[in-house]
Amino acid sequence: MSDRTRLLIIDDDPDFVEGIKSILVKADYDVEAAYNPDDGFKALTTNPPDLLLLDIMMGRGAEGIMLARKIRKDEKLREIPVLIITGIREQMAFLFPGEPVHPRFVPVDELVEKPVDPEFLLERVEALLKAAEKRQAETN
Amino acid sequence: MNGEYKILIIDDEEVVRDSCTEILSGSDYTVATAANGTEGLTIFKQFEPDLVFVDLKMPGISGLEVLERIYESNPTIVTIVITGYATVSSAVEAMKQGAYDFLPKPFTPDEFRLITKRGLEKRSLVLETIALRREKEMLRENFAAIVSHELKSPLGAVQQNLYTLIDEVSENITDDQLRRLKRMKTRISDLINLINTWLRVISVDIESIKEHFQPISIPSIITKAVENVQPHAIRKNIEIIQLIREPLSTVNGEEVTLTESIVNLLTNAIKFSHMGSKIEISAEESGDNVAIEVADTGIGISEEDLPFIFDDFYSGKSDQVPERGSGLGLAISRRIIETHGGSITVTSELGKGSTFKILLPIYSDTQQMSNI
Repeated sequence: MSDRTRLLIIDDDPDFVEGIKSILVKADYDVEAAYNPDDGFKALTTNPPDLLLLDIMMGRGAEGIMLARKIRKDEKLREIPVLIITGIREQMAFLFPGEPVHPRFVPVDELVEKPVDPEFLLERVEALLKAAEKRQAETN
Repeated sequence: MNGEYKILIIDDEEVVRDSCTEILSGSDYTVATAANGTEGLTIFKQFEPDLVFVDLKMPGISGLEVLERIYESNPTIVTIVITGYATVSSAVEAMKQGAYDFLPKPFTPDEFRLITKRGLEKRSLVLETIALRREKEMLRENFAAIVSHELKSPLGAVQQNLYTLIDEVSENITDDQLRRLKRMKTRISDLINLINTWLRVISVDIESIKEHFQPISIPSIITKAVENVQPHAIRKNIEIIQLIREPLSTVNGEEVTLTESIVNLLTNAIKFSHMGSKIEISAEESGDNVAIEVADTGIGISEEDLPFIFDDFYSGKSDQVPERGSGLGLAISRRIIETHGGSITVTSELGKGSTFKILLPIYSDTQQMSNI
């Protein structure tokens, strides 16, 4: 497969999506975006990406988390690495910025805070893709 | 519950139960009665009364025990003791158990009505207080969520695009245009940090860090804190000197917040120091405490500012401050240190520099038993 790595962004803020999409496109990823949990779930199931960038606080919280739960329950979808992008890190109390936090809601995931520094974003995306690859090699 | 109060009367004398029920029958209260403590407690559970009258002298389980059980199951229920002897001592004993008032036998209908009314007023106050407290708690929790969504989301989106734009257009614009774009980025960053800090103060329950207390080695958190601020120090060509005087006991604490409080002190020291100067951070034992000092030779703090620097949102009156902060760094540090049972003080002289001193109690095994 010579196809480019496919990323899916699910985030209800189109401006924010544009901001990170252009970073990822420039780094030669194939990027798709969905702007609500329903479309996002459809995109996930019809054409699963290599990595998901998920805003977990969509629609004041509940919807993004519901979607995250649905992903977690699905045996196939939970194998997709997820970069959780959130604006609410401070509610997870007393954490230093810049250090990755692992929510572990799926086997391979990580949490970063909005806004994301371009270099940091690319670095984390790459790290997650590698971790997922490694996990797949181990389970096979 | 407007007027629909429920009253339970527990008394072994039938005549007392009947007459009390009779007295209250004209009002819109619901009344239940029980002839002994055991029956009273059973009814109490199903009936969920607002006010309970308990006779102190009853066969079977005593009135005091009934009071105790009621208090255990729901301390917001108002209880009034009926006592046959009118002895002050038994009434006092009952009130120690949480009873609101006592009614000596024999009593007149008016006395009974009056004490019932007062008891229910007390209950209504209690309920109101609970509701207010819950509301305040919800407001605090929701406020954080709302603010983070409504203020931070737009800022985050703007900042994300600035990041990208700077990356994309930097080769096609003049240095001055690039500089201004970067300034915008910095200013928005400051704003986002400010919102984060405010949110922290409002939404985080500092007491909860006590659940994670463990023996902490001070040198290791000092090293961490210094690493954290090092980039800032290098930019101003400031050297940070660490002086650890061994032996140094551990303290009982929470690593992340303790590190943060030291980071705050170091950040301030750097902020108010002159280019190329030195900052000294030292730690040593001092009596039952570990003393940590952060000393700079910077601009210092004026005498008029000094009493207020640990207050929320205070960031200095004097206009000599080169970089204004959120006014919360020191307030947060003070809260963290005080939650650790320690203290934070400052000595300073305008133009010569400031020294902040943290005292933290040395860790001992017995310390975990007692509440700090």
